[in-house]
Amino acid sequence: MKKVSIYRPTTVDEAIQILSQHGASASVYAGGTDLLVRLKNRLEQAPSYLVDIKKIDNLRYIKEDAQGGVEIGTATKLAELADSKLLQDKYPMLVEAIGKISSPELRNASTLGGDLLQEVWCQYLRGGYSCWRNGGYLCYGAIGDNSYYHSAMGGRLCYAVYPGDAATALIPFDARAKLATPQGEKELSIEQLVPGDMLVDGRIQSHVVRYNEILTSVVIPAPKPGVRASFEKLRPRGVWDFAMASLGISMQLNGKTIEDSRVVFGGISGKPYREKSVEAFLKGKTLNADLGEQAVSVALADAAPLKYNATKIDMAKGLLASGLARLNA
Amino acid sequence: MQKIEALLLEPVGCLAEFPSAPFHEIALRLFGRKRKAGSSAGTLYWYVLNLMESARAPIDAEKKSVAETLEVEAVDAATIYEDVVPALAELKSMGMRLFVATSLSRRAAARFIERNSLGEFFSGVCTRDDAGGVKSAPLLSALDGASLPREKTMFLTDTLEGIKTARSVGVHPILMMNDPDEAQRLAMHNPAGGVVSLHEMPDFIRLLAAQNQKA
Repeated sequence: MKKVSIYRPTTVDEAIQILSQHGASASVYAGGTDLLVRLKNRLEQAPSYLVDIKKIDNLRYIKEDAQGGVEIGTATKLAELADSKLLQDKYPMLVEAIGKISSPELRNASTLGGDLLQEVWCQYLRGGYSCWRNGGYLCYGAIGDNSYYHSAMGGRLCYAVYPGDAATALIPFDARAKLATPQGEKELSIEQLVPGDMLVDGRIQSHVVRYNEILTSVVIPAPKPGVRASFEKLRPRGVWDFAMASLGISMQLNGKTIEDSRVVFGGISGKPYREKSVEAFLKGKTLNADLGEQAVSVALADAAPLKYNATKIDMAKGLLASGLARLNA
Repeated sequence: MQKIEALLLEPVGCLAEFPSAPFHEIALRLFGRKRKAGSSAGTLYWYVLNLMESARAPIDAEKKSVAETLEVEAVDAATIYEDVVPALAELKSMGMRLFVATSLSRRAAARFIERNSLGEFFSGVCTRDDAGGVKSAPLLSALDGASLPREKTMFLTDTLEGIKTARSVGVHPILMMNDPDEAQRLAMHNPAGGVVSLHEMPDFIRLLAAQNQKA
C-alpha cells in the first residue's frame, strides 16, 4: 500500500486549509471503502495525504429541515441512511436504493459523500493500467472488455461508467449538494455535482469537487403530495456488485395523470443519465399498464454502445418498463 | 507529456474512412504486389508507402500518374468522419496549429481538403510531392517548414507504421482507435496516447495544458 500521512482536523475550515496546502496530493478520507482500495492498488492519482474528516462532528447527521425536507451530513454511513425512519417515511425509494448498495459490511463503513464522489471501478484502472485516470492517455475500456464497467452512452476520454447508486436515487427528488470551499459555501444540484468525466485540477473525475473543497451535506426537498418513486437495479449478484444498469424514477401524479417526472439511469453512462426525452413523453400521460412499452420506445435514442455492452441498453429499457409497472401497481 | 501546440494529421484513417480497393490497385499496378483481401484501407495505404519507400528506382511518370489517379479515386469515395469538422474548428479556436502531413500526392491531398471544405482549418499541407518522399518525409517537412517543436507536436495515426513513423521523427504518436480489436493490438506498441474519436482531442489538449500548468 502506498505510504500516506494522515491529518485529523476537527473543523471543516481546518480541513479545507490542509487540503489547500497540499493541492491535489491530498484527499478527504471518511469511510475509506473506495479511497483505501485506490491506495492499496497504488494508483497514480491516489493521494499522499489523507484528511480524515471523521472527527468533524457536524458532518454525520440526518435531520428534518424547516421546509419538511431532509438534510444529510455527507459523513453519514450508508447503513444509517438505510435504517433511518425519517428517510423511510419521506423517501422510501431512497432507502431501498441505499439498501442495494454493495454489501451490509461495506454499508457500515461507506458514507453518503463517498458513494457520491467515488472513483470509477473500471477493471483496467483498478488493475493499474496507465489510463486517463491513472497517469496515462488512453482508455483501455473503450477497446478491451467493456461489458460491465463501461459506458453505453458515449464517453469523454474515459469510458468508465459512474458507479454510484445514491446519485441515481437522489436526482429524482431534485436533491442538492452543499460544498464548503475556501470562498464559502456553494450549492449545486446532484446532477451538477456529478456531470460525468470532467477535467478538474488537471485530472479526469466524475464530479466537480475541487481539491480544496468538501462535500458537506445533501438536502432533499420535502416530498410533494402525489409523488411516487421507484428504484430498480440489475447486477450479477444480489449483493456487492455494481449496477449493470439501474433506474431511479419519480412521478408527480394528479390522480392517474403524470404532471411531472424524473427518469435517471445508472450504470450505463459516465454520469447518472437523466433521460429527459422520456420525461417529456410522460408529461400529461395517464399512468397505465401500456405506458411502459410506449416509454421504452422513446428511451435512450442516443445510445452509443461499445463492442461488448449493448446489452446494458436493453437492461436499462427493461428497468424502465418494470419501474413504470411498479409505479402503476 | 508537454503542452501541445501542433497536430499533424494524415487524412487516411484519421479524418475519413477511405476505401481499400484503390490502394490494392496501386500495390498491384505499380509494384505487382497483392495483399490479402479484408485488409483495412489504412493498412493497405501504409503497405503501399513501404513499397514506395523501398523501391530501388524512382517511380516513373506514367506509374506516378496511375497512383495519383487511384488516390484521387480513393479520396472521392472517402467518407469524412462526422466529428472531424467540429473537432478541427474547436482545436483551431484553441490556438492549435493544424497541418495535413500526408504521403498522399499533392493532387489527392488538395482534392480531399477541397472536397470536404477543410482548407480554413489548416496552417499548412505537406504531401509526398512537397516533401520528396513518403512516411516520415511529409512529417519532417511540416515540422521544419513551420519550426514546430517536436515535443509539443502530435501525429494521429491508426496503424503501427504510423506509430513508428511518428517516433522516428520525434513527435508523439496518438492512436486513433477506429477499430477496437486493431486498437487493442496497437495499444501494446505504446503510443503516447489514444482517442476513440477526433472530438476527444480538444479535451486531451486541455488536460495536458492543465497538467503542465499544475506541474
